[in-house]
Amino acid sequence: MNVEVLILFLNATLVTAVSAIVVIAILRKQYLPVIRELEKKEDKEENVKDENKHIKSNI
Amino acid sequence: MALTIFALVLLIYVAVGAFIARYVKNSDDFYTMGGRGSTLLIVGTLAATYLSAATLLGIAGVSYAEGPLVIATLGSFGAWIGTLLAVVYVGRKMKALNCKTMPDFFDKRFNNKWVSIIAIVIMIVGLVGYGVIQFIGAGLVLAEITGINFKLLIVLFTVALIAFTAFGGMYGVVVTDTLMFFTMLAISVVIAPMIIGQAGFEQMKGLSETLPNYWTIGGTEDRSIGWSISQFLVWILFFTCMPALVSRVFPAKNDFVILKTAVIGVFFAPFMQLTVFIAAGGMQVLKPNITPADNAMIVGFMEFTTPAIAGVGLAALMASIMSTASTLFVLVGFALSRDLYERLFEKELNEKQSLTAARIGQVIVAVVICAIAIAQPSAIYWISIYAGSIFAVGWLPTIVASFEWKKMNSKAASISMVAGVASFILFGELIKAGIMTLPTGVDELMLALLVSIATLIIAALVTKPSSYELNYFTEMKSTGMAKITIQEFMKQPDGLQKIKKQYKQIITVSVLFTFISVIVWGYFFIKLGL
Repeated sequence: MNVEVLILFLNATLVTAVSAIVVIAILRKQYLPVIRELEKKEDKEENVKDENKHIKSNI
Repeated sequence: MALTIFALVLLIYVAVGAFIARYVKNSDDFYTMGGRGSTLLIVGTLAATYLSAATLLGIAGVSYAEGPLVIATLGSFGAWIGTLLAVVYVGRKMKALNCKTMPDFFDKRFNNKWVSIIAIVIMIVGLVGYGVIQFIGAGLVLAEITGINFKLLIVLFTVALIAFTAFGGMYGVVVTDTLMFFTMLAISVVIAPMIIGQAGFEQMKGLSETLPNYWTIGGTEDRSIGWSISQFLVWILFFTCMPALVSRVFPAKNDFVILKTAVIGVFFAPFMQLTVFIAAGGMQVLKPNITPADNAMIVGFMEFTTPAIAGVGLAALMASIMSTASTLFVLVGFALSRDLYERLFEKELNEKQSLTAARIGQVIVAVVICAIAIAQPSAIYWISIYAGSIFAVGWLPTIVASFEWKKMNSKAASISMVAGVASFILFGELIKAGIMTLPTGVDELMLALLVSIATLIIAALVTKPSSYELNYFTEMKSTGMAKITIQEFMKQPDGLQKIKKQYKQIITVSVLFTFISVIVWGYFFIKLGL
């Protein structure tokens, strides 16, 4: 096995792998918490809407 | 045939440029295509930028003569990582700060004329020195193939380039770059495999017997590992803040486009370059002793493919020259019209005047560069020695410190940029004259970078940032592309669902391209390394 050829192709693979890791890390750090927060907010709004509907129907 | 292809390619680009001009309604369209760049367009323009004439001719020539590992293993690896940093670190941050050109950032961050002037001079000298030499070199090769007089060829190129840079600005460059990307991709997916197939992997591996060290990082010239590490540093530092790459991020539609580009665009960097370098190794089997070695790939597609494919190869060579030149024209033109005329001279222009100034800037730059390419003054060759690396020693420490360090200020920026560039040229000249010698593995770039960083730190510690600089630093830290993109999406109906869709799409793209990368490079390793 030619180790130097291995280094070349390892580097070529690594660069895509590193970019994928960096991008996924950005998504998890900068987007995921906001998505979860917005989901919770939407759920809450849904629940309030449902409760209002329920109250109106009882009345 | 060569002449027909030459005329056809130029006509296509002129037609596309004229067509795009109708979409350029204001200066925002001209400088950043109105922030409408899709993933395809941004990946296209980024990929077209790194398969330059230097890659196709010069580096392919070294790969042919000394072995494909010599520059690719560490030097090109540095360029690939540098591309990633240029997109996700420098470009993404500057885009969030609403920069339309790179000197815009220096202007916004420091609000100091001297810092802006130094930054603009570094950019113009760096781009002209780096680009014009490639324009001249590749133009000479193309003149030989087509039989067209070199001077006429440069004039024809300039006229075609004006058609899409002066009328379409960044819009024209991004769209034509994407067309060029697909033409250049033909070299990697059609021509290179054809050459490798004819040469045969076993015969290519066997080159080590006739040319000792052909499949080593040192190559047949037995270059030291210090030289290779130095190449890695040069390319990673240069590419991280290279305006041709960083400014490609500015037209992106949103952060999701930037993140997808970071994965797909960076995948195409080794894909487009390495296949060419390996094919250049194949040419050593098929036709040894090509002189000059820079012509290895041209001989490859002219003599070892079908006439139709050779035509595509020629079109790709033209595309690589035009893409390099259009980047040069458009960025130097922007520096002239926006950074120097509008901002520095504080000209109050309305939209129409601003667009006219931008177009006039493009024409002036095109005419000047055309004249330099034809006259080939000896000064341009001297500048080219230092051109590429002055971004690394001049800009990079200042940009990083500006992003990350609260104490960073205009005095530190000016001193660091001037000291970095001046020491780089001084050390280079002293070494050339034999007055100064450096240990193996150390070169003038490393020393100049140290000077630039040291002067920056000292100057920042002994001076104080202004209240403007402190305020802007706080504002900058609270601004990010993710925040801007989320806000934009949430204004749309079903915004959250759209964000979640993009999130999943980017994860899929990341996994998919990593998988493709493992398959492609794993295959080449099995064939050439085992």
